[in-house]
Amino acid sequence: MKFESIRLLRGANRWSDQPAVEGIVTLDPGFPAQRVLAELEARYPELLVRVVAGVPHDATHALFWAHVVARLAVELERSIGADVTLALASPLDAPSEARFVAEYCEEATGRRAVELATELVVAAHEGRSLDLNAELVRLRKLNEDTRLGPSTGAIADAARARGIPVRRLTDGSLLQLGYGAQQRRVWAAETDRTSAIAEAIAQDKELTKSLLATVGVPVPEGRPAASAEEAWTIAQEIGLPVVVKPQKGNQGKGVSVGLRTRAAVMGAFEIAVRRDGQVLVERHLEGSDFRLLVVGGKLVAAAHREPPRVVGDGRSTIAALVALENQNPLRGDDHATALSKLRLDEIGLEMLSEQGLGPDSVPARGQSVVLRRNANLSTGGSATDVTDDVHPAVARRAIEAARVVGLDIAGVDLVAPRIDRPLEETGGAFVEVNAAPGLRMHLEPSHGRGRAVGEAIIDSMFARGDDARIPIIAVTGTNGKTTTTRFVAHLMRQRGLRVGLTCTDGIYVEGRRIDTGDCSGPKSAKMVLGHPGVDVAVFETARGGMLREGLGFDWCDVAVVTNVGEGDHLGMNGIHRVEELAAIKAIPVRRVSTRGVAVLNADDPLVAAMAPLCPGTVIFFSRNAESPVVVRHRASGGKAIIVQRGDVVLADGRLERRLASLTELPLTQGGLVGFQIENLLAAVGAGWGLGLPIEALRFGAETFASHLGTVPGRFNVVTHRDSTVILDYGHNASALLALTEAIRGMRHRRRKVVYTAAGDRRDEDIVRQAEILGGFFHEVYIYEDQCTRGRPDGEVIRLMREGFVRADGSPRIVQLSGELRAIGAAIGGLEPGDLLLCQVDQVELALEFVTGLFRQAESRSVSSLAQLAAAALAALGMIGG
Amino acid sequence: MQVRSVTALKGPNIWANFPVLEAVVDLGKYEDLPTDKLPGFTDRLMEWLPSLIEHRCSEGVRGGFLHRLRTGTWLGHVLEHVTLELETLAHLPVGFGRARGTSEPGVYKVVVRCDEPAFGQACLMAGLELVLAAAEGRTFPLASELRRLRELADKVCLGPSTQAIVSAARERGIPHLRLSAGNLVQLGYGKAQRRIWTAETDGTAAIAESIAQDKELTRTLLRSVGVAVPSGRVVADAADAWAAAEDLGLPVVVKPQDGNHGRGVSIRLEDRGAVEAAFQFAANEGSGVVVERFVPGAQYRVLVVGERAIAASGGDADQVTGDGVHTVTELLALANSDPARGEDSAQLLTTLVLDEISLELLRTQGLGAASVPAAGRTVMIRFNGDLTVDVTDRLHADVAATCVLAARTIGLDIAGIDLIAEDISRPLEAQGGAIIEVNASPGLVMHLKPLHGKPRPVGEAIVDHMFGPGQTGRVPVVAVAGSHRSELAATIIGRFLATAGYHVGQVDAEGVRVGEHWLARGDASRAEGGRRLLVNPFANAFVLHVTEASVLGEGLAFDRCQVALVTDLDEPAPQADDDGPSPRAKALRAAVDVVLPSGAAALNADDPGVARMAAHCKGRVVLFASTLAAPPLAAHLAQGGEAVVHDSGRALLCRGSERSELLDAATLAGARLSGAATNLQDWLAAVATGVALGMTAEAIRSFFVRELGARPAEPREREGAGASAVG
Repeated sequence: MKFESIRLLRGANRWSDQPAVEGIVTLDPGFPAQRVLAELEARYPELLVRVVAGVPHDATHALFWAHVVARLAVELERSIGADVTLALASPLDAPSEARFVAEYCEEATGRRAVELATELVVAAHEGRSLDLNAELVRLRKLNEDTRLGPSTGAIADAARARGIPVRRLTDGSLLQLGYGAQQRRVWAAETDRTSAIAEAIAQDKELTKSLLATVGVPVPEGRPAASAEEAWTIAQEIGLPVVVKPQKGNQGKGVSVGLRTRAAVMGAFEIAVRRDGQVLVERHLEGSDFRLLVVGGKLVAAAHREPPRVVGDGRSTIAALVALENQNPLRGDDHATALSKLRLDEIGLEMLSEQGLGPDSVPARGQSVVLRRNANLSTGGSATDVTDDVHPAVARRAIEAARVVGLDIAGVDLVAPRIDRPLEETGGAFVEVNAAPGLRMHLEPSHGRGRAVGEAIIDSMFARGDDARIPIIAVTGTNGKTTTTRFVAHLMRQRGLRVGLTCTDGIYVEGRRIDTGDCSGPKSAKMVLGHPGVDVAVFETARGGMLREGLGFDWCDVAVVTNVGEGDHLGMNGIHRVEELAAIKAIPVRRVSTRGVAVLNADDPLVAAMAPLCPGTVIFFSRNAESPVVVRHRASGGKAIIVQRGDVVLADGRLERRLASLTELPLTQGGLVGFQIENLLAAVGAGWGLGLPIEALRFGAETFASHLGTVPGRFNVVTHRDSTVILDYGHNASALLALTEAIRGMRHRRRKVVYTAAGDRRDEDIVRQAEILGGFFHEVYIYEDQCTRGRPDGEVIRLMREGFVRADGSPRIVQLSGELRAIGAAIGGLEPGDLLLCQVDQVELALEFVTGLFRQAESRSVSSLAQLAAAALAALGMIGG
Repeated sequence: MQVRSVTALKGPNIWANFPVLEAVVDLGKYEDLPTDKLPGFTDRLMEWLPSLIEHRCSEGVRGGFLHRLRTGTWLGHVLEHVTLELETLAHLPVGFGRARGTSEPGVYKVVVRCDEPAFGQACLMAGLELVLAAAEGRTFPLASELRRLRELADKVCLGPSTQAIVSAARERGIPHLRLSAGNLVQLGYGKAQRRIWTAETDGTAAIAESIAQDKELTRTLLRSVGVAVPSGRVVADAADAWAAAEDLGLPVVVKPQDGNHGRGVSIRLEDRGAVEAAFQFAANEGSGVVVERFVPGAQYRVLVVGERAIAASGGDADQVTGDGVHTVTELLALANSDPARGEDSAQLLTTLVLDEISLELLRTQGLGAASVPAAGRTVMIRFNGDLTVDVTDRLHADVAATCVLAARTIGLDIAGIDLIAEDISRPLEAQGGAIIEVNASPGLVMHLKPLHGKPRPVGEAIVDHMFGPGQTGRVPVVAVAGSHRSELAATIIGRFLATAGYHVGQVDAEGVRVGEHWLARGDASRAEGGRRLLVNPFANAFVLHVTEASVLGEGLAFDRCQVALVTDLDEPAPQADDDGPSPRAKALRAAVDVVLPSGAAALNADDPGVARMAAHCKGRVVLFASTLAAPPLAAHLAQGGEAVVHDSGRALLCRGSERSELLDAATLAGARLSGAATNLQDWLAAVATGVALGMTAEAIRSFFVRELGARPAEPREREGAGASAVG
């Protein structure tokens, strides 16, 4: 039994809108399915009951085991508290193979859960058991270690609840909230507006105190001490008891409070000085420790914090009481739990000896023994929510303290006998202002109710109704994606927006290419959504990326599906039928926001059928105004963009508005190129869906043409003297049919084509492509590429020749090796009036080659194209012809 | 000769509109020995401090002070000039000083400009020693004294980057206050304030700084927005560093994952030994270690402020040139003797050191520390060369845009972008250049004082980034000066502004408060209290009481004010027009001296000594008087001036020849009956202050009506009765 191709589908995918792990299970011949199943049931009976029940196949099928692995993984995740449900299996070509899919919450946990599920099966096969409990403990630990901590998690949850997209930028707690130019960042309880200067001030307790004093916020008297001796002198000046602490520092490290004796003060000085050279001696304030959380000029929460303590039972030693208390599951070793473990370390022991106790002392029943002076949660303290008790005047002072330090989020520490009376009355004072305060004590206080702190932080960062999104337009389909994508980008640029665009040629931001290669996948989309200079994102969304990783965005505003046609890439990734392909192309349609629009090709039945999947509204486009899909849609008040008597018309129910005549729209070559009309309708439909006014759509459509500069390699028409060369990328049957249709309408004498089929397509597709070409062109230059994508040399050519035999025509066939050689030969053989279609694969290289030849031909009228082509190939180290 | 006392006047004072040090100096026997009577004094002094030739002194020409020395001047005057020169040599140029005799023979007041009292005082005391040494024909250890003063300046004065920003702010009329002994400075007052701390602003995000500290994260984020960065990864140990180097392709750069300022960085490492040594060197910085592909070219630093690339510096590797005589070690020592080199970050060049990396680099050049390179041979010591050449004018627009995008992506408003390129005047992509680091709180000195090329106004750029056009960070400051009348006037004006909707910070005899909130009660130090108040981020107007004692003993709390109200001098009027001002008048006038050109002085025309301050006001002057017959009124109004005058129970607003009723008799009388003050002049002062602040008559009236419970115009007979009741 093998488990392979395990991949993480991080975004919405063909199976689910949730992230999922996908993989393939393969059964070896003679796999002892029944024995393995029996072993599993014997070893993990409870788990297996849940996993096997209702699997609709017998154990000899791979599909059965795919179900088992997926369900096991989900069960394992659920048992550590993850909220996941989806587990499914799907058949593959051979009955010995099947695909499994298991939903996950946390990437690392999800991946490990699937691994663990496979390990359980493999171990059972080998007659071994795994220590399931130990594995679950490890899985839980992995989950704790990799998921967001409670503070950041609360902020992320609050953002998501408001529809703000959340993305982790690191393994830690740095989050991107929102997309593109609208994005903000948080890192634990800091926002991107938390001032570095303010943090530095908060770190300096003396400076903080002096600033607080300037606005009349009460602070304890005191000053820095350079030596233990001076600390004692200061202590006597300001009056006992005193607090001794490092001037810089956090979490109460090195702080000693309530010091009354010379020895205590001098000892505390030594502890503090180890933390930081600067030590502060302050008046000890009588009362309790309170932490007030100020967010964006508002008091959001307050907690009463108590130092760690144990209560005697008359029998146990203090050490035993501590050990007992540490069994409390609420006490953990990290920040993830509500309480931290108690510690009997140096500071704790010293504290005990001050009370005349030791770790072996047995306190009386009910006697409370304090283990530490300070009340920080991280050293075992507890917190009680007192938000509702805070006197408004106290709240005002806390807000002022945060403001004068300059922090947008601050934890303000107050010592006062009580918090429900003004400080003037209680004599309380503020002792510290903390940047990046811990939120745990407010989210999950030891006592009292938790406060909506994450929500408060999000509300302070984003105005009401602001979801920090930028418009996202996703364009998918078999053909026309790149042209449509670039057309939509053009419409947006006309509106003065900074466009981020991904397509098969690269990633562009404001027209500048920031990455090259095929960028039609989710990683590229995420790059654009993370770019701070992007106002609107237009994504060419190709099949490959969606299969590999799912979508790169959560929701889009517009999803365009150009066509599915006869499909492409069939036979790859276990997708054999165009209907399956259509299901993948429908993923962006499923992820249109409720306020968004799907722009669908009404003339392609598989695309038109996606309409019900769209959570938003639908705009159909069609070259045929009478299309039944359009007519029905309009009858129920829907929108469509159609061609009517040579005009492009925006139809909104019964209302019709003329955009322009096709003859005015350069992309369509005066209405001659059918597939460009469709691309235009799709792009204008997307613009309309985004609410662009008709004037803007018209202007955009009038100013967008397909040339080498705007859409390189997509129906670029180049003329030289009397001959025409069309450069295009199309390499599937639908695209070729569309191209032949377009070429038929263009003036020419003989037509020629340079072509090769991609080796990773099905045999029947390659034959079919050649059949179309052979039936239409007079001369065909075929070549085999260096990368035949897994096929043996010569096979692509053999299949194509098979197609030419079947074709309804008898073209002259010229066979060469290499794209440029083929193009060079074809151009060398151009006669006046010829029309040559060059299918370009290495787009930039080929474009550069062809345009270079023509430039030279223009400037050097003596040389023939054949000579120039031969010379150019020779210059590239190739032999012409 | 001895210094009896030194007073730091931390704000505008009777000598100047800026902080000064005022020393009382007793010349002792030198009262009878001016410089021309001290043989060799002038020559000794000029030998030690030849730059004194630049001091113009009262002559107003270069060499003016030297002329005075030769013709004979008292040592108090010499001490003033020597102190100024020491301040200049040890820190920053200062040009203001005064030496004045006192009523006591042989005792002088020596006054020098000084922003930091501790530094100024040290310069003064060093100056005293120097002058005495010159007078007594002793030697003086000038070099070591200057070094000591420089060290002190480094410790107590603002650092050069902060100083550049503060100076730029001052140029734009934005006030500043130091908030700590370090470089934390407040620009602007009260609610309009911003803060800086070296090259950070209060808008510099802590998160962005953390990101910039993490080179790996920085690189990931930059790459994701298409900014070219060198490929590389974090490595676990020396062996892994070498493995990474082989993967990436040699040569490589090895540096700490966290940190900045080039510490622990080694570049262009070609072999295993160098890479492993560099790993150790980087690991010593305490964070993880990153190995990156070496990007060929020179290193540049581009300073981004807001949305603009403001300055760019370039430099070469550290190198020495052989002379065929000295060893490499000796050549280094020679280079290090250049005073421009030092360990200090404020210094232009860092000291050259032969550490392991340098030795390794020498080895690759076939040299050792003891080798004697041939004359003219360039020997590379280190590749993270100092950035000493201003190349701002060569910065390609595309590179500038990339740097701005990098800063933006990290989230920094001010960033120093380190990049490597063959040529900064061409786009990075075209030449395989890359951004290697983004630094928060970048040093500005290389742009302020490049060794070669033009200095760049980076302080100005930062201030312009923080304050929009026309913004000065100011809120209304009303200085209330005077003798016994001023205290009540201050109280009334505070309430007046509160009624007008201001959150008022106030210092007066009762204490220090903001709004209703008391910060201190009792008659506190006016200037210290005022300075504390100006820090308050909630107050959007200030009423600061100024007394003769506070001006003389501390200087003013503020640099400029919107309105200076002077109520009274409470002393006999000057007898003749050409009588100089009394000491009290001179002190209180300090407030009028610092009225902003857009502001105004409100002056009591009933007190001739006060009225005479009008000539010193750079803004408008609003006089107030209990009678139209007050002598200074006529001339003031004749020139189109403004005045608030009591006439027949009413308060009139006079503008040139125009007269309008501001308050009718009933209102004014009602105020005097119901308010805190019964004296007419206190109310007139408040009204004049309102006019000086540009309040409308309506706003002034509503204060009286709403806040003082005065009845609006009622039947005439009642009005008359009210007026007579007051008498």
